[in-house]
Amino acid sequence: MSAIPYTFERRPDTGVNNVKLGVWLFLASEVMFFGGLFSAYFMLRAGATSWPHGPDVLSLPLGSINTVVLLTASAVFTVAVRAAQAGRQERIRRLLAFSMLLCLAFLGIKSLEYAREIAAGLVPRTSTFFALYYTLTAVHALHVIAGIILSLWLWTTSPPAWRAAPARVVNRLEAAAMYWYFVDAIWLIIVLLMYVA
Amino acid sequence: MLADPQGRSILWRELRASHDTVRRLFSLDHKVIGLQYAITSACFLLIGFGLMMLMRWQLAYPMQPIPFIGRWFGPTTAPGGVMLPEFYNQLGAMHGTIMIFLGVVPLSVGGFGNYLVPLQIGAGDMAFPRLNMLSYWIYLVAGLVMLSSFAVPGGAPNSGWTSYPPLADIASMGQTFWLAGMILLITSSLLGSINIIVTILQLRAPGLTFMRLPFFVWTQLVTAFLLLLAFPPLESASLMQLMDRIGGTSFFLPSGLFVGNRPLAATGGGNPLLWQHLFWFLAHPEVYVLILPAMGIVAEILANSIRKPLWGYRLMVYSAIFIGFMSFLVWSHHMFLTGMGTGMSAFFQTTTMIISIPSVVILTALLLSLYGGSIRFTTASLFALAFLPMFGIGGLTGLPLGLAASDIHLHDTYYVIGHFHYIVAPGTIFALFAGVYYWFPKLTGRFLDERLGTIHFWGSLVCMNLIFMPMFIEGLAGMNRRMYDGGLFYPHNQGLQKWNVLQGWSAWTLGLVQIVFLLNLVVSVRRGRMASDNPWDATTLEWATATPPPHGNFAVAPIVYRGAYEYSVPGAARDFIPQNEPGNGGLPAGRGAQPQIS
Repeated sequence: MSAIPYTFERRPDTGVNNVKLGVWLFLASEVMFFGGLFSAYFMLRAGATSWPHGPDVLSLPLGSINTVVLLTASAVFTVAVRAAQAGRQERIRRLLAFSMLLCLAFLGIKSLEYAREIAAGLVPRTSTFFALYYTLTAVHALHVIAGIILSLWLWTTSPPAWRAAPARVVNRLEAAAMYWYFVDAIWLIIVLLMYVA
Repeated sequence: MLADPQGRSILWRELRASHDTVRRLFSLDHKVIGLQYAITSACFLLIGFGLMMLMRWQLAYPMQPIPFIGRWFGPTTAPGGVMLPEFYNQLGAMHGTIMIFLGVVPLSVGGFGNYLVPLQIGAGDMAFPRLNMLSYWIYLVAGLVMLSSFAVPGGAPNSGWTSYPPLADIASMGQTFWLAGMILLITSSLLGSINIIVTILQLRAPGLTFMRLPFFVWTQLVTAFLLLLAFPPLESASLMQLMDRIGGTSFFLPSGLFVGNRPLAATGGGNPLLWQHLFWFLAHPEVYVLILPAMGIVAEILANSIRKPLWGYRLMVYSAIFIGFMSFLVWSHHMFLTGMGTGMSAFFQTTTMIISIPSVVILTALLLSLYGGSIRFTTASLFALAFLPMFGIGGLTGLPLGLAASDIHLHDTYYVIGHFHYIVAPGTIFALFAGVYYWFPKLTGRFLDERLGTIHFWGSLVCMNLIFMPMFIEGLAGMNRRMYDGGLFYPHNQGLQKWNVLQGWSAWTLGLVQIVFLLNLVVSVRRGRMASDNPWDATTLEWATATPPPHGNFAVAPIVYRGAYEYSVPGAARDFIPQNEPGNGGLPAGRGAQPQIS
């Protein structure tokens, strides 16, 4: 016995496959990781003598555009998942490429924001607010970069994997989509805490 | 082409195929990875123990040059062999860090867990073999980063294993290495815990329902959840401390801080208590990460040595799950003295008293299991039996620390050191020793020498108690921990020096006793008595395959027909019925177990 069972087929009594369960567990740990950062936000803000109003120091328009870009990237990724589920393999790569492009645009706009803030002398050491802002957004950007690498890997491996077992590709895409939705959710919380509140 | 039909990297496979050494070193087999973990973490345990033996010299004979090896130290650590206070602090911080994060946890989870869990659940390997390999290599790099901090200017981290800011924020460069090492280490344990959970839930053999799992597998499952959910907050805390040290932020630096009579150039506005909350949110579940696999190992070995089913198996399982859940709700009992308020203290003191109940339930169940058994006194069972009173002492001495009032007196004294060392050293490490003696025949096909084992056991038991029991006396008398001179500076500690001398000699003797153990390992691998596939007449699945287990573990996928501890079943032909034995084990018709295949 050497082959590992249930990599993409459901185990009947647990109702999941290994990859999806692994991603769920990973996301659970990510919740705890960002939970640590967000609890720092609340504890520091509660103890602060003064706290800047987000829109006064950050660019809410750029932040809003970036939110739309990131959510569209995930939507396009979802369309790729749907295409795979419908058996339309020829569309997967095109949609993945489009989604990656949008993620790159997100990182571009984020860099533009960083450049503007640094030019204005607003750096991590400026205040606790900016320490949190830079840490949270940089960690989130790292997650976006990791997601792009993931999409790139799916883009490379999906045609040969599809020929062997289409269900494996569908499962991989579905699992990756779970990750993207998590990255979206974290971004929405960051926008709410830093840009709006 | 980059990928094969399954979408796996071909380049990687070719590299592995081309070179035998590469294939062995970067093996995907959980047994090889488990051994890599075990050997690496054993080395770290020896290093951590070595640091402590150095510290013990300074405590027993303050300001006297270290004999024999003293002249090897440089002017920045121990000029003329006399240890500097800074170096003592480095040794203390690194002893704790190495023992806990690089020694005991990787040995019990990465070593024992990796090797045994797939075998005990009848699986061919872990669910994600490449992730498994990756987690080992990240762990190794993390360990090397930590160790290399001894070579940087200012030496190793010296802010204690807890790395409390503001001190840690402004400490020398070694602390940055500590943080980098910690972030890597948490990433590694994260990958490992995902792997263990998915393996246990998904790869159980047909018929192996949850209530038929060996208790060891249960403890590994709960432990993996703790690693998965408790470690990430320290990862984010480490990231923030790294930002404080490198990015100039003030997450943990309050305003108006003076260092060396000068105001610290920092923006301020941070909160040092934030670190303590995030750190202990990890570090209290960590205690159960240290103890649960040990309980699992002890349960396996005791059931086998007493030839009886465990008393209250279900109760033990529910207790382990309850411990896992409650361990997230007790962290602030480490912080009673921070002035967080009596309301908070009352809450955490209540949860702390509650969490002691399931631990006592497990200990009592194991103790009651002994009643009426005909115990086989092997070295493995001696260590497992000794675990019970040692863990008992460690656990019960923790109760006064969990109560906010008595903690005021005992906090940060040697009493605390004695308490948690009883749990981890003669507790967990004894269980790990027991596990080595018990599973060594499965790994190698040979027994460890019982006579050397007996010397190892009694030597360790006596020395450990001579080291840790006097700590309670010292602590109650008011001797503080982290005292470079053993507390001699304070008049109330003057009379305690004799205990430090006793502890010192016991620690060095303990070191000698471990040489007997290492010798036993080295000699027995080649010359030990040959062992059969199931030398202990055990019931669980790891004994149902060849010795040593082949790649893929089982020639035929096993099917499970019964619970994990069917020893001395009345009327059965033998005094044990393996889990994979079909039929009724010689019982009258109609009384045998049926497979439950869902």
